[in-house]
Amino acid sequence: MRERYFARDNFIGTFPKIEYHYPMPETAVPITRPDTAEDQQTKSREDLDRGYLVICWDDPVNLMDYVTHVFQMVFGWANAQAEQHMLEVHNAGKSLLVRETFEKAEHYVHQLHGYGLQATMEREE
Amino acid sequence: MRFVPAHPTTASQVLRFQISRLEKALLLATVQIFPVLDSSYHRITKDPKNAAAAEQRLLEEAMERQKAEHKARLTDFLRAKAPVFQEVRDELYLNLTGEELEWLLQVLNDIRVGSWVQLGSPDTDAVRRASLTAEEARAVAAMDMSAYFQSGLLEAFR
Repeated sequence: MRERYFARDNFIGTFPKIEYHYPMPETAVPITRPDTAEDQQTKSREDLDRGYLVICWDDPVNLMDYVTHVFQMVFGWANAQAEQHMLEVHNAGKSLLVRETFEKAEHYVHQLHGYGLQATMEREE
Repeated sequence: MRFVPAHPTTASQVLRFQISRLEKALLLATVQIFPVLDSSYHRITKDPKNAAAAEQRLLEEAMERQKAEHKARLTDFLRAKAPVFQEVRDELYLNLTGEELEWLLQVLNDIRVGSWVQLGSPDTDAVRRASLTAEEARAVAAMDMSAYFQSGLLEAFR
């Protein structure tokens, strides 16, 4: 991507906040596990369906601010998240944006192309 | 060209840019060449095994449809009858809704990327060559003008 007017060397990534949850002894009661077989099956189906990766590829022509703006518009991301993905595209040559179902991935790729970005959908191996 | 933030007390949905007469003329001349980018530029996948013809065709058709809609809208914009350009005393302003701004950004980016493709998709610094044909020089100018106005419009989001 093309950098114009100012460098973004001072970008500081965000770190996920880790929360630890310890069981409270006084509230410990016997837990009856529900039958999770069906849930797991449903989850597996969802995981399988969401097996399409939307990837944005670097090019030397799209402006960095423009790419950040497009990610915000298409995915509704906050500026920091959009900028993080833009920098990944710029530095690593590509960024995995989302993992989605076929239809949603196709929808996102169409939107990104509408803005002139090089985005593809790839089947997850 | 410069973004004029709305007064905090104004609940204005319009994004306002102060623009000179020269910039207005350059903007209108730049967008006039839309569309530049060919629909075959858009690829749905990089994997040749999964390059499904149906999905690729759908993408190209969607892009052609979008360009046709943008072009129709551009015709109105070029007539400049709509109050997008407003003269207040001696100052000239470009007034855009958020949706109009997105549209204009897409039009300008089509021109920028399309001109770059016309030049053979070079590294952007490589286009500053000592010798350019007249056609190449036009493409370089279109790229630069598009970037200039894109950057100006994106000021509204900073």
